[in-house]
Amino acid sequence: MSLSAENTPDNSTINHSTEPLLKVENLTVRFSVNRKGLFGKKEYLYAVDDVSFDLNRGETVGIVGESGSGKTTTALAIARLVNAHAGKVTMHGEDFLALEDEDLRRARARCQFIFQDPYSSLNPRLRAEAVVREPLDSLTTLSEAEKRESIDRLFAEVGLRHEQQRLFPHQFSGGQRQRIGIARALATRPDLIICDEPVSALDVAVQAQILNLLRKLQHDFGLTYLFISHDLGVVQHMCDKIAVMYMGKIVEYGDRLSLFNNPQHPYTKALLSAVPAVYRRRGESTERISIPGDPPDQITKPAGCRFANRCPMSMDVCTEDQPELTNITGSHRAACFLTQ
Amino acid sequence: MSKLKPPISGQLEEEFKAQSPMMEVWSMFCRNITAMIGLVIVLIVLFAAIFGPTLYPGDPFEMVWAPFSRPGEEGYLLGTDYLGRDLTTLLVHGARVSILIGLSAALLTVLIGITVGAVAGYYKGWVEELLMRITEFFQVLPTLLFSMVIVALFGASLPMITFAIGVVSWPPVARVTRAEFLRIRELEYVTAARASGVSNFKIIFRTILPNALPPIIVQAALMVGSAILFEAGLSFLGLTDPNVVSWGQIIGSNRQYILDSSYTVTIPGLAIFITVLAISLVGDGLNDALNPKLRKR
Repeated sequence: MSLSAENTPDNSTINHSTEPLLKVENLTVRFSVNRKGLFGKKEYLYAVDDVSFDLNRGETVGIVGESGSGKTTTALAIARLVNAHAGKVTMHGEDFLALEDEDLRRARARCQFIFQDPYSSLNPRLRAEAVVREPLDSLTTLSEAEKRESIDRLFAEVGLRHEQQRLFPHQFSGGQRQRIGIARALATRPDLIICDEPVSALDVAVQAQILNLLRKLQHDFGLTYLFISHDLGVVQHMCDKIAVMYMGKIVEYGDRLSLFNNPQHPYTKALLSAVPAVYRRRGESTERISIPGDPPDQITKPAGCRFANRCPMSMDVCTEDQPELTNITGSHRAACFLTQ
Repeated sequence: MSKLKPPISGQLEEEFKAQSPMMEVWSMFCRNITAMIGLVIVLIVLFAAIFGPTLYPGDPFEMVWAPFSRPGEEGYLLGTDYLGRDLTTLLVHGARVSILIGLSAALLTVLIGITVGAVAGYYKGWVEELLMRITEFFQVLPTLLFSMVIVALFGASLPMITFAIGVVSWPPVARVTRAEFLRIRELEYVTAARASGVSNFKIIFRTILPNALPPIIVQAALMVGSAILFEAGLSFLGLTDPNVVSWGQIIGSNRQYILDSSYTVTIPGLAIFITVLAISLVGDGLNDALNPKLRKR
């Protein structure tokens, strides 16, 4: 499609081929928890703890993990929707976390967000066209006619009919609502779209439609996705690289093939073994690695590996020291003493 | 018509007919009989307030007949009071003042309440802490006493009475608004608006406020009723513009004759009662129509 070249003119002028589009370094997000009333000592919950990864142009990086692992908070912090405590997020060589006011506004146009719940992510009082218009109004300087035109084009791109622009969100189905959400994210022609579990609220047939739409859009416009999910099947379908998070830390990071074929961290292994399969080759092992118990209290951080108390292979060193994320092969990295 | 394949155009029409949220609320409201009765009464009172003085022209304070003539005597529909003034004329002219004060005091209440509640609920932190302490300060003051002090200090003119009522009755609106804002600010569409670069001011007044309105509208409707009662209370105590007739004032000035000529007190009292009841019914109806959880019942 020729549109992609027209609408992202800065692609051609600036050469980003060597430099990653998004560089996240030591990102830390903490929330204060008051445990002992008004005058108690302030304690912090580290939702995201020292997370680093890169995102190359045109690539999809997935973050997987269980509920409470900090994957959504990571996404929100990168998009400046939650305040980061420490760390650096560089986009286009610009420190995204340091931007304010007008600069932030300009940068937001290049980094958009697709939300998890299509039922609460659309303002019920706005018509579909007004939802899509919102980022155009506040992030761009297009004229009224140009806005009209881009709304029409966006609706066509996400597969909605022109007449549906006048409808209210409650008149759409879940899948259609998510399409509106995608149109809104595409409105400013961003380079990076953060997808926070974009399909987990949809039923399976619709999930496939939305995922395929996302892939088509990525192909057409050269988009880069940061894809948050807890569904490994979805991640396998969508992502080039995958980061596995556990309790605010990345425990394993690698490209899709090596991570799925050769998981290193016991947590990743347990996650992969929990993926249900319809067809299994005869004789193939169906053994599931179960991890009993719950994640430990996130406020009192354990000294050692955070997975140690649930890990089937934990050793003495695991409860004493924190494993670093170390290279195994190529870009495949894991934070486990077993692999070092 | 074939059942298997409805014509496409028909389907589209169906979709287009689907109305805006406000229209839905209205159709919901229409199905509520008590609320409609309330609305009809409110409209009658409004009609009386707007057109009554043209139907009953002349000075309501003028003596037209012998004092204490019973309702219906000598063509005076509701009789005359202790000074021989026509009660119908008094009532109709009083409606204007009562409704005017009710509406403008409720408006003032809502303006103050929404501003305070919205800012407190949206920004949270020390801003909320400070604003809510101020709200609580106004909430613990004895309201009637406080407004009496204001009126006594600054003079009993209609604007001052409106101000006195408004300034003491905004805390409930502020609390409701704050509660709604605290709930809605966490919803994803507010986060989405922030991701779309919408300014805080616009998020407060264009994104959150329209969604927070339903309980505020209900509160405002009830506030009109209580403002009318408030005004009646103040003017009963004589804290009112003596040159302007209002329902509370009619009751107040006739109160010594309650045993001999009870109708002079009862009739304006009934007018207040019916009006406030009707407004409450409308408020309740709005509450039901705006609250989707009650819709299916």
